[in-house]
Amino acid sequence: MNHTKELISIFSKEIPAKNIVEGCNNEVYAPINEEEFAKAITTLSARDSSLISLFCAESFGKNKGFTLFYAFEKAGSEEIIILQRALKSNHANSIAEQFPSASWYEREIMDGFGVRFDDAFDKRRLFLHERYPDDFHPLLKSFKNEKVKMKSSVKPEDEYQFREVHGEGVYHIPVGPVHAGIIEPGHFRFSVIGETIFNLEVRMFWKHRGIEKLAEGKTPLECVRIAETISGDETVANAVAFSNAVEKISNINVPVRAWHLRTIFLELERIYSHLGDMAGMIIDIAYPVGASPFFILREEMFRQNDALTGSRFMKGIVAPSGLKKDIPEDALGNLSSYLEAFSGRFCEAIKVAHSSSFSVIDRLETTGVVRKDLIKPLHITGPVARASGALTDTRIDHPYGIYGNLGLSRKFLERGDVISRFDLKAAEVLDSVRIIRKMIKEMPKGSVIKAGDIADGYAISVVEAPRGQSVHWLYLKNGVVDRYKVRTASFCNWQAIEHAVLGNIVPDFPLINKSMNLSYAGTDL
Amino acid sequence: MGANMLKVVSNVFKRKKTEDFKFRDAEFEELGLRLKKEIGSIFGRSLAIRELDSGSDNSTEIELVNLTTPYYDVERFGVSFVASPRHADVIIITGAVTQNMAVAVKKTYDATPAPKLVIAIGDDACNGGIFKDSYAVLGGADKIIPVDAKIPGNPPTPKEILKGLLALMKVIRNRK
Repeated sequence: MNHTKELISIFSKEIPAKNIVEGCNNEVYAPINEEEFAKAITTLSARDSSLISLFCAESFGKNKGFTLFYAFEKAGSEEIIILQRALKSNHANSIAEQFPSASWYEREIMDGFGVRFDDAFDKRRLFLHERYPDDFHPLLKSFKNEKVKMKSSVKPEDEYQFREVHGEGVYHIPVGPVHAGIIEPGHFRFSVIGETIFNLEVRMFWKHRGIEKLAEGKTPLECVRIAETISGDETVANAVAFSNAVEKISNINVPVRAWHLRTIFLELERIYSHLGDMAGMIIDIAYPVGASPFFILREEMFRQNDALTGSRFMKGIVAPSGLKKDIPEDALGNLSSYLEAFSGRFCEAIKVAHSSSFSVIDRLETTGVVRKDLIKPLHITGPVARASGALTDTRIDHPYGIYGNLGLSRKFLERGDVISRFDLKAAEVLDSVRIIRKMIKEMPKGSVIKAGDIADGYAISVVEAPRGQSVHWLYLKNGVVDRYKVRTASFCNWQAIEHAVLGNIVPDFPLINKSMNLSYAGTDL
Repeated sequence: MGANMLKVVSNVFKRKKTEDFKFRDAEFEELGLRLKKEIGSIFGRSLAIRELDSGSDNSTEIELVNLTTPYYDVERFGVSFVASPRHADVIIITGAVTQNMAVAVKKTYDATPAPKLVIAIGDDACNGGIFKDSYAVLGGADKIIPVDAKIPGNPPTPKEILKGLLALMKVIRNRK
């Protein structure tokens, strides 16, 4: 492997070559000691790498204490580099100055494991809100999953401290967690001058359900159902990412028919998700007539999902080693002929949205710009990144299943405003339709599940969900999950909205939010 | 009167062309009309629902939004989703109740004027579902507020939700 050699040469001073371990899924683990860590981070930062995940495990391998894993990718390289840092205590230094997206991860590790990042600029709790007891760290192995006694009241000084913006004419608008529409809960703290947003801070994790702890001790077959609930509208993406990790660890070759069908489900999920965003953007500018065709097509996609899998969200179909059941040929035939007519109707709906009223374009253009220079530091992925000029697409960057054989082209737009995200999603829907029809046409015969024993081990697995890159890291020990770390695209993309709204007016916030389509459940876990 | 004005006036009075929807499902239509009749007699024509997500995986929210889209369009039957608990007859709660949402759930319930009804939608809201043993959730919605009806499912389909609303009408009638 060339990349491993490259890595060995990069870290020739910091890491002895014999210590570098190739993982199961095109990732490389580079154990690093405390003395060399800071130098390695500087090297990676200078090398233009992106931090794609940062997580902790207790009792990993021979190390009984905490091991921190810093996962990096670099444009043009399929390989993922993971710095593996065994801590001698529960103290570590922060890397958020070099990799700003590290801040949320470090706060998450502090909550989960009690590891302290002493020099971090933000040490507030993240997913454990105020009422959780002090010194409670649910991901410690010593904590058995059980109900905890919450604080009955919170002193004013212990309440969450938002960034304060002061000055003449500045006022604050607190919104949520319960919102006005049929939406998930989150809290937004706007600082506003006149109508213009001067600062926004999002506070998430209201829906924290303890997914990572719940996974511990579960068999892979039980755990895939948990993966599906990470975010309901990313059921397939997360189930495939999880299953792929299990399969890589156990060296199970999933039958090619199962991968064709999985690819169909993944792209169907992208289509219905994008249709919902496009309808939502048009609804949010009060143009229901323009939104209706998208809603109609979306409902029809849900019915196609149901006809194929028995679930409108395609729950319960993907499993480690393949699929739970095969899909009948006539259902695939019906889907193919439905999609033949779909594209024309979809293009007509876009034409209506674009041309029937200038006020549509007026609201969407130049609104909520995500600047290109934020993409790397915040690790923004998915349509939000691609509408701002990034070439990132996990299907191409780290191909999984049969995506490497599809000859996908990279779609991107430059301006990064709401209409760019609308148009980019439109192009992606049409691409997904083409992929699905190709899969149906080339559908191989055969089994959809491969018998094979599940082995112990660990692997990373990355998938392009409708919202962007979803990173799963799984560690199986004694046939059950010992540690399952999930980072969906929304975890990173949420932090981009704090920048995208600046200088926009408050009434445009729902529109910007819809165009970025951020999952609350997928972030809060 | 200018030409433009004439256009506006004729637009108001001329016969409207609407799309002929052939895709509606007969069973759903029948359920909807029954619900409309019930809402008419119990609530005086409209049922105002406040949706409250206490920790769902978001699929139930998607199905609730779907109820308002052209295939279903439940406003025809007198059902509307309102922006504030102050305007609501019914709270629909989705998801297991997380520890982080517990206070907000209670406050939303308290802000809803009596008499009020609560429907738990989805397996997680009904009994905690897959999350019931997690440290991070209290369990089903009835751990924190009184629940009048439960609609299980992962998530229930729009039609099942409508059937659940009809079942709620029966609960109310039996109480009277």
